Amino acid sequence: MDKSLHVGLTFFLTQLGIIFFIYPEHIIASSSEGHWLPILAGAAANLIVMAVYMKGLGYFSNQDIISIYTNVGKSAAVLFLVPVIFYLYMVNVIAVRAFAEIITIVFLSNTPIWAVTGLLLFISTYIAANGIASIFRTGVLLAILFLPSIGFILTISFQNVDWHYILPLIEKRFEFLTSISYMKSFYVFATSFLFLGFVQPEITYSSKKLLLAALSLIPFLLLAVYIPVLTFGRSTASTFKFPFVMLVGTIHVNWLMFDRVTLFLLLSLITFTMLFIALLIWQMSRMISRPLPKVKPVYLLLFISAVTYIGCIMIPNWQDVEELFICNMVLRIYVWLIIPFSIYFLGLREKRKRSYEPT
Amino acid sequence: MNAFLQEVKDALGRNDDFFVQRQTLLEQQVTIFGFATLVDVTSTLSIFIEQELSARASLMEADAFWHTLGTVEETNVRTAVSAIQQGCVILYLVDRNRMIVVDAAQKELTRSIDLPSNENILQGPSSSFIEDIDTNIGLIRKQRSAASMRVRTFATGREQRKKLTLIYDEVYAEPAMIREMIGQIEDHSDMEINHIQHVSKLMGFPKWQAIPKWNTTELPQEAVSALLKGKVVLFVDRIPFALVLPNLLWDMFALDNDRNYSLPIMVIIRSIRLVGVLLTLLAPGFYVALVAVNPEVLRIEMALSVAQSREGVPYPAIVEMLIMLVILELIIEASARLPKSIGPTLTMVGGIIIGQAVVTARLVSNLLIIILAATTIANSTVVGFQNSLSIRMFKYVIVILAALYGVLGIMAGMVLLSAYMASLRTFGVPYLNLSCKKGEMKHG
Repeated sequence: MDKSLHVGLTFFLTQLGIIFFIYPEHIIASSSEGHWLPILAGAAANLIVMAVYMKGLGYFSNQDIISIYTNVGKSAAVLFLVPVIFYLYMVNVIAVRAFAEIITIVFLSNTPIWAVTGLLLFISTYIAANGIASIFRTGVLLAILFLPSIGFILTISFQNVDWHYILPLIEKRFEFLTSISYMKSFYVFATSFLFLGFVQPEITYSSKKLLLAALSLIPFLLLAVYIPVLTFGRSTASTFKFPFVMLVGTIHVNWLMFDRVTLFLLLSLITFTMLFIALLIWQMSRMISRPLPKVKPVYLLLFISAVTYIGCIMIPNWQDVEELFICNMVLRIYVWLIIPFSIYFLGLREKRKRSYEPT
Repeated sequence: MNAFLQEVKDALGRNDDFFVQRQTLLEQQVTIFGFATLVDVTSTLSIFIEQELSARASLMEADAFWHTLGTVEETNVRTAVSAIQQGCVILYLVDRNRMIVVDAAQKELTRSIDLPSNENILQGPSSSFIEDIDTNIGLIRKQRSAASMRVRTFATGREQRKKLTLIYDEVYAEPAMIREMIGQIEDHSDMEINHIQHVSKLMGFPKWQAIPKWNTTELPQEAVSALLKGKVVLFVDRIPFALVLPNLLWDMFALDNDRNYSLPIMVIIRSIRLVGVLLTLLAPGFYVALVAVNPEVLRIEMALSVAQSREGVPYPAIVEMLIMLVILELIIEASARLPKSIGPTLTMVGGIIIGQAVVTARLVSNLLIIILAATTIANSTVVGFQNSLSIRMFKYVIVILAALYGVLGIMAGMVLLSAYMASLRTFGVPYLNLSCKKGEMKHG
């Protein structure tokens, strides 16, 4: 069944959920001016990788990536998928922990972090336990409920913009290419599209529409970076931990009875992140369940979220989250580049094999 | 006495309303029996005599005459007993040891078609379904006379054969879904059906479901519009409403009668219902969250006025909220139970309690009363009583989460609710689908 809309929307939401937090900070740190260049370069690279990945998957129209690798050989499956599991696990821990941290900082200062972590994981596990089709439907419903508030906040966030800060437009030294922050910023892209390889063959989608969804994210990437820069100026914005969240905190709307619009932005984004975490947990359970077919998927999900929970609790403070984030970088590049390209080459091989067969 | 007669008497003879009448029709001995409470005996007999007279006048043979009354069958106690229970009479031909099941003149035991009593309709056709299943099917046929409409009747149960009718439109309904439904009913045709939970069991639905798998309606117009959307209408004998399968999220907001207004008005009416649902779910939660957990979210003037209205209230916001919500539920439940003549007393007492006394006594805040009233009113905007019950229940989940996690809890509750709704499927149709028409299953 063609579910391009569902898949595209879920992809869009899970990306949207993460770009407003650390991404602006990294991009602002990576370059002193002309930020659109690193953003567009990153987005273009991501589009290419996604296209390659989907092209590769297209050669195996009714297999998910687990079967693709297992068909090549057991050792290949282990070689390719075990790092992915590790990576997803780390992303999961980082995401849950980071969001729990943000939540406690911004609006639940008296609630212990284990309780917030528990809530995030509980809901994500529940979403994941209902299966992939349900995850997508939940995504659609969440989009209907929460996207309007994001749109509203993005609109009013232009309140204190000073357009002079947009200059200079071009930075000639391309210093972002060598910046470690820029490398970090790729976390935004590295995980979201991976699930596309898991949903076949139950759910099909058109890769064109998915690329369109990825393309439509570019304005949001630009907004996430540029609105803080335009409001505070680059040098001030670079001192903030979460520039965009900071910026929304400065918005004052007379007729709104709420003092802190930040809250609504955060809440909407957190719902999207829950969807993201649910997808991560679901992908991990799919990969682990292949060698253990006898275990019920629900137990696997519970196990994964329990382990994630423990992982989150073990991290004592934000510094360690950042460290983990840096440790994760090698794996991230691996997942972001090796998996799509390996699928692509395996696909080419498969195609060649098939073209020999009839003769 | 004859063996067949004796067996029927053994089965039913201990009922005082069981009658046995001997009669001679066309010079033959017949025995007529049935329930005097279901059958109008006098007029049934006089019909027999009239028919006999006309048969004599046209010089009809006895054999042909019996066939004009009904099918002549081999005697069979089980068939006879169940036919009698359903309000037929048995005409037993003593000499030939044959029986005829005759549709007798019925006692008037069903009410006539009336205005809907559980649903209100504004400017629309207002006849409603009644207990008699055949009348209901007739009402549907009257509302929509299309060749593509199919009516399938089943009888289920071992003790009593309960009639169950499935209506669908071949042009719009998804054939796979229909096949699955019919298979499900046929596989469980020995299940007794006394109430809707039994029907649910028969259809193989899980017991623990917070959102009903069907929509109920009393209005033929709504049932027919459901048929046109590819849904299936299920009637159970003696249940005065139609069960529309499957229930979809959008049914909570859309009524076919809305289309009797112009388009902009329809859109506005439906969005009001949408607001109603959101308000019911969110308002109590927001009160608890903003008062107890996240007061800093509010503008300072607003926060102060909220705090002022709660001055002197001795317990936390969640307790305050739960107490009043429970009292409100009690009032709703009690006013459903009481006879119509005592009902107003309750409304009055309830109104005084919630309206004035609790606030004056400083047991709860003013603001809470406003929120509660708004919630209750908003809750009633939902289409379908069953749906409003579900929404009423979900609001507690959100209130409790809000007490624990503040605004985050409200949002978490909404996500949880979304995920729950997303996980529901009825005969392969997801609850969030906009339509279940043939070939339109992909949306949602």
